[in-house]
Amino acid sequence: MSSGSFNPFEMAQAQFDNIAEQLDLEPGMRQLLRNPLREYHFLIPVRMDDGSTQVFRGFRCQHNDARGPSKGGIRFHPQETIDTVRALSMWMTWKCATVDIPLGGGKGGVICDPHHLSAREQEQICRGWVRQLARNVGPVQDVPAPDVMTNAQHMLWMLDEYEHIHGGHAPGFITGKPVGMGGSLGRTEATGYGVIFTVREALRELGIRPQDTLASVQGFGNVAQYAIRLYNQLGGKVTCVSSWDQGDQTSYAFRKQNGVDIEELVSITDRFGGIDKNKAEGLGYQVLPGDAWIEEEVDILIPAALENQITGETVLKISQRVKVIAEGANGPTTPEADQVLFERGVYLIPDVLANAGGVTCSYFEQVQSNMNYFWERDEVLGKLDVKMTAAFEAVSELAKKRGIYQRDAAFMIAVDRVARACRDRGWI
Amino acid sequence: MTNPDLPISDLLSSLKERAKELNCLYAVEEILNEPDISPEEACRRIVVVIPPGWQYPGICRAEIELRGVTHRAEEFEPTPFVLTSDIHTQDEAVGSVRVYYLEEMPAADSGPFLKEEMRLIKTIANRFGHYFHHHRMKRHFGKWESARQSLKVEHREDWRIVLDLLARTDHSLYLKMAHMMLNHLCWSGVRPAEDLLRQSDEFRQADEVDLFIDSNVPHQRRVHAFPEEMAARTFEIASDHLSDEEIFYRVQKWVQEDRLAFLVRAVERNQSLAEVTDAIRRYEHISTNEGDLSQPVRKVVRVSLIRRFLSDQLSYIRVAKEYFGISDFHDLQQRIIFSRDSFGRLGGKSAGLFLARQILRHERENHPEIGEVRAPKTWHITADMQLNFMHYNNLDEVIEQKYKDIGQIRFEYPHIVHTCKNSRFPPEFLKGLSLALDDLGDSPLIVRSSSVLEDRVGAAFSGKYKSLFVGNQGTKQERIEALLDAIAEVYASMFGPDPIQYRTERGLLDFSEEMGILIQQVVGTKVGKYYLPTFAGVAFSSNEFRWSPRISREDGLIRLVPGLGTRAVDRLSDDYPVMFAPGQPGLRVNVSPDEIARYSPRCMDIINLETNAFETRGAGELLAELGDELPGWAKLVSIQDEDRIRRPSPLDDEVPADKLLVTFEGMMSDQAFVAQMGTILTVLEEKMGAPVDIEFAHDGKHLHILQCRVQSNADDSSASPIPKDVPDSRLVFTANRFISNGRVPDATHIVYVDPEKYGELAERKDLLAVGRAVSKLNMLLPKRRFILMGPGRWGSRGDIKLGVSVSYSDINNTSVLIEVARRKGNYTPDLSFGTHFFQDLVEARIRYLPLYPDEEGVVFNETFLRCAPNIFADILPEDAWLADTIKVIDVTRAADGLVLRVLMNADLDEAVGMLADPATEVVESLDRYSAKIPVSGEHWRWRIRMVEYIAAEIDAEKFGVAGLYVFGSTKNCNAGPGSDIDLLVHFAGTREQEVLLTTWFDAWSKCLDEMNYVRTGYRSGGLLDVHLVTDEDIEHQTSYAVKIDAVTDAARKLRLPKK
Repeated sequence: MSSGSFNPFEMAQAQFDNIAEQLDLEPGMRQLLRNPLREYHFLIPVRMDDGSTQVFRGFRCQHNDARGPSKGGIRFHPQETIDTVRALSMWMTWKCATVDIPLGGGKGGVICDPHHLSAREQEQICRGWVRQLARNVGPVQDVPAPDVMTNAQHMLWMLDEYEHIHGGHAPGFITGKPVGMGGSLGRTEATGYGVIFTVREALRELGIRPQDTLASVQGFGNVAQYAIRLYNQLGGKVTCVSSWDQGDQTSYAFRKQNGVDIEELVSITDRFGGIDKNKAEGLGYQVLPGDAWIEEEVDILIPAALENQITGETVLKISQRVKVIAEGANGPTTPEADQVLFERGVYLIPDVLANAGGVTCSYFEQVQSNMNYFWERDEVLGKLDVKMTAAFEAVSELAKKRGIYQRDAAFMIAVDRVARACRDRGWI
Repeated sequence: MTNPDLPISDLLSSLKERAKELNCLYAVEEILNEPDISPEEACRRIVVVIPPGWQYPGICRAEIELRGVTHRAEEFEPTPFVLTSDIHTQDEAVGSVRVYYLEEMPAADSGPFLKEEMRLIKTIANRFGHYFHHHRMKRHFGKWESARQSLKVEHREDWRIVLDLLARTDHSLYLKMAHMMLNHLCWSGVRPAEDLLRQSDEFRQADEVDLFIDSNVPHQRRVHAFPEEMAARTFEIASDHLSDEEIFYRVQKWVQEDRLAFLVRAVERNQSLAEVTDAIRRYEHISTNEGDLSQPVRKVVRVSLIRRFLSDQLSYIRVAKEYFGISDFHDLQQRIIFSRDSFGRLGGKSAGLFLARQILRHERENHPEIGEVRAPKTWHITADMQLNFMHYNNLDEVIEQKYKDIGQIRFEYPHIVHTCKNSRFPPEFLKGLSLALDDLGDSPLIVRSSSVLEDRVGAAFSGKYKSLFVGNQGTKQERIEALLDAIAEVYASMFGPDPIQYRTERGLLDFSEEMGILIQQVVGTKVGKYYLPTFAGVAFSSNEFRWSPRISREDGLIRLVPGLGTRAVDRLSDDYPVMFAPGQPGLRVNVSPDEIARYSPRCMDIINLETNAFETRGAGELLAELGDELPGWAKLVSIQDEDRIRRPSPLDDEVPADKLLVTFEGMMSDQAFVAQMGTILTVLEEKMGAPVDIEFAHDGKHLHILQCRVQSNADDSSASPIPKDVPDSRLVFTANRFISNGRVPDATHIVYVDPEKYGELAERKDLLAVGRAVSKLNMLLPKRRFILMGPGRWGSRGDIKLGVSVSYSDINNTSVLIEVARRKGNYTPDLSFGTHFFQDLVEARIRYLPLYPDEEGVVFNETFLRCAPNIFADILPEDAWLADTIKVIDVTRAADGLVLRVLMNADLDEAVGMLADPATEVVESLDRYSAKIPVSGEHWRWRIRMVEYIAAEIDAEKFGVAGLYVFGSTKNCNAGPGSDIDLLVHFAGTREQEVLLTTWFDAWSKCLDEMNYVRTGYRSGGLLDVHLVTDEDIEHQTSYAVKIDAVTDAARKLRLPKK
């Protein structure tokens, strides 16, 4: 691979270097945090269904565990590279630190394409992965979770293998388990609710009453639906949502000036978040091209669908009325758009904070698993509110104090927290 | 029948009498139809059922005297009040039936008896005579058989006794046997026999010489009776040279064959179907097993019957003759509706189904995995009944319909349907259908066409004619009418514009097409008000859509849908059947819960018994409603539980519709079902000597096979011949791994994302920009006339370095999606096989092709791809900085008017992309019948004429129009019958004018659509696709404005009326 090509790890390092400079970190600390603390490379031989043997390559990176056990997903990807895994493990360290949960960052993967593997073969890969790492992962060391092309089923196979090797139950070894098998209630709602907890705090900060606000939402999946529900409970009105139409292979925006009725819309939505445009029209919604959501005359924009939606171009279409943008999706805003938003003084709640409800709930799952005692849904969501609100306040305060953009503030807080833990432990 | 002057009470009692008589006759018939009933037993039982048929049953007694023995139900004293009828077999009286009244009763037509009673007793006696004759013959043969067996051990010379008997009872047969024996001995080289034969014919020697001289006059015909004394001599010689067993065996065989000669005669000569079926029925009565016939005779009869009923295709007969017995035809002909003069061909669909069933039935012994495969109860209407129907209604003129202009055909078609539906059916038709309905009961039916052409051309022709579902509910009259209605409509579909056009294109118009009909019970279960099979689908023994390199063609492919199979057969593009390869059941198309949910079937087709109609309902919704009342429900569905998909548990009650997914997980992990389907496909392919496809349905308990034919793909997915003499300079690429079938004859543009340059892009946003640029090209390049080539995995999401990040909508206009796997160091990366949108590609018929340029023996013309003029920057000036990475080649310009032709052949596992002359459109398709006439230019010409007319009509000032352009297929001269017309309006008016203009175009759009419908049968709701661009767009070259004065594929300006 030529050195000039896109390398996610180099990109993550550059971003870190930038923050380290602003925090004026000592050289030793920079060296430590620029790279993963530990990396495992190993082989997983698997007897295939046809009797032949295939050898798969597996990885695990534990970027930093100064604040607690590493936490991060396991990816099954045919062209997985160690640099991708490194970059993602570093991201996890910052993400956990932003919401101030006592976990470090990790990531792992196997080079394979599940499309070309049977379920039994995938199970063998999962079990093989755990066998190779059984001594280096665990509830107090490193906690894996589902990621690209892995799901609850893979987690259960891995958990089972881990428990067999260690001769006892350890549900806190892994997260992303189904409810009843060590999973946590409230996970479905967590991310959407988390977005609105931060929006609520932002409005409070700006001195605006939620019931006086209007919002426009891109996407109508899980995150968007629960965000809208909670926002409605706070008294706010959503005037526009956009959703992908599988049949037409394009997206549409659905507008209702006096506020969309979430339950009504959900009733005409398929399980992928696609709203039936004919029925919507029948219910009095105005059906517009998909990108119309961004031009709405509202106070709050919630991009909760795809990355790169607010670009240098589209940012100019945002109404002057917009005061808050909450990033429900990952990376919806490009750096050029960030610049414009910062200059305009729009209150941006960065993805690492706004959609951290998911990772926080994962943390709760681990806590409950370790206790072997599981909370009710409301208890989970109540604790989520407390965590998110506290995280928001820290970011907001720093941004205000230093006069910096919220995205930078969140990043600085995260790096600072990790650096402090390393220092406290006497590592540096 | 009755005297009108009789009082009503007399009329009633007379009617009651008739009913009694009929009942009596039925009872007798029933007894005699019992298999293996002995004559004595039959007599004993018949005498019981006779008295109730007489006027005074209480004092009525019956007796049957058979060969001197009298059978009575109980003892009684014969009285003089008796009615007698003799029992004859052939011409011999063997007994009589007698009916007594024990007391004297009032006088009627003959003594106390009615004339109807006299007729009745005569009928009973006749019927008994027939029965007794059959019985005797059967026993006769049975005796011979046992004689043959015992002879082997004991009575070595018994053949002499047999012959002796024969000589006395049937002398001519005796002589015939002698003659045949003499022939046999001569052929076996027995000298004395040859001498004897020579003596028998003094001219023989001379003749023998003649036979070998090439004479041009016919040999003199010799008539010679076989002399009596020679017969005896022949058998003497035989006894010297042959064993007793052999003589006996031969004689017995010949006698048997002589008895069955009528069957050979009936099938060999072109006798009417009625005579053939009579012959088969007679044979069934006489013969105990087919082994009674010698091998050649058996073959002759089988082949004749196959040719007669099923198909005259040699390839079909070759296979079928191994699997059909004569008695199979006996079963078949009991469910055929035909007229007396019918010839009897049943059409392609019937033939295929019948053969598949036979093969599976026979092969089950060797392959127990096949298990129990059923076929729905089916009635056939012979193909010539359609002509009967037309003649009967004086519709002969309609047959000439096919030679009319296609526009006229389309215009008249609704009228023809109407006429057919209002026509009367010949009485024999009605009678047959009534019988059929009694047999089929009141379960829903499907009326399917089974045309003679289908048999000839194969699967490619199927689907052109109609198949209709009938609910089959209500009174018998209503059911018959609904069925007739459906049959009439299916008949009418032969004169529809689509099949006629198809036949015209293939030069099949002059073929005398006839349409047989299958009336099949729909496989399924009644659940509530619905009737449906649990699932149904199509299966292919050769997999043309491999989603993983681990799947080979031999692994087969199955497309499953819940409910009726209609949705599996068609490719609907907005719904997805569940696909799996029986040879690799573990390798699923969709792996993650997201994918599984996205590509699970959304709708299902069912029959609503209340409305008597075919319906489509949301799959989740309906399955939740039916629940496990639908047999096999649990094997069909999975439950989406948060981010997991699991099999339902018996304790799950009331699963909400939106949690219910159709996954067939239970079915696919059921080893037995997978093995069953896999074995069926392998066995059928092996026996039929070609890949096959079958349609099937499953009622939750049993698999039913509905159709079977040799797998032939639609035109665009049949194997393309790969030319071997292409000069290197014209090759763009070749491939030899994981090739599916298909061809793209004339791609005009290549979009090539250079793998090396793509790998060098340093920023994620740059990589994403490539995806966006491809998406724009997808909109701008001529639809389905460009190909996309790019590194690694198209549609990569997370790690987009591995392939361009696009979704299906970004590539949906390409004709081929090519993934290029360049070797990196010592390994070649995996390709995606289009997994990210595999099912979308399949349903939209977009070809997928993997290229491995660094492998040996493969051509990859990098020089052409890199050095041909790149017009990317001209098309997308705003993305010009990507021109190094994305190459857009206007093939026609870069290669002097040539186009890119991609030919893919899965049989050879080879594909080639070459520069070719657009005029030499390949005609040498593998299907010998489809010498396709090149697409004529009428569609684009008509469109151009229309847009020019519109342009001339437009009031530019009123509407604020500054310019009008046409682009896309109309401009490119490749518009098909269903293409829309892309117009580009340079608009410089006000908002109000825009509204006016849009309305004006809308009206034109609808109007043209209607005209196009009459021309071609395509209707889209609007033919014009109008795009408005402003001065600003033109200045910035945004939106469709790029088409104006574009470098490639520029829009053509239309002349507006002068102001």
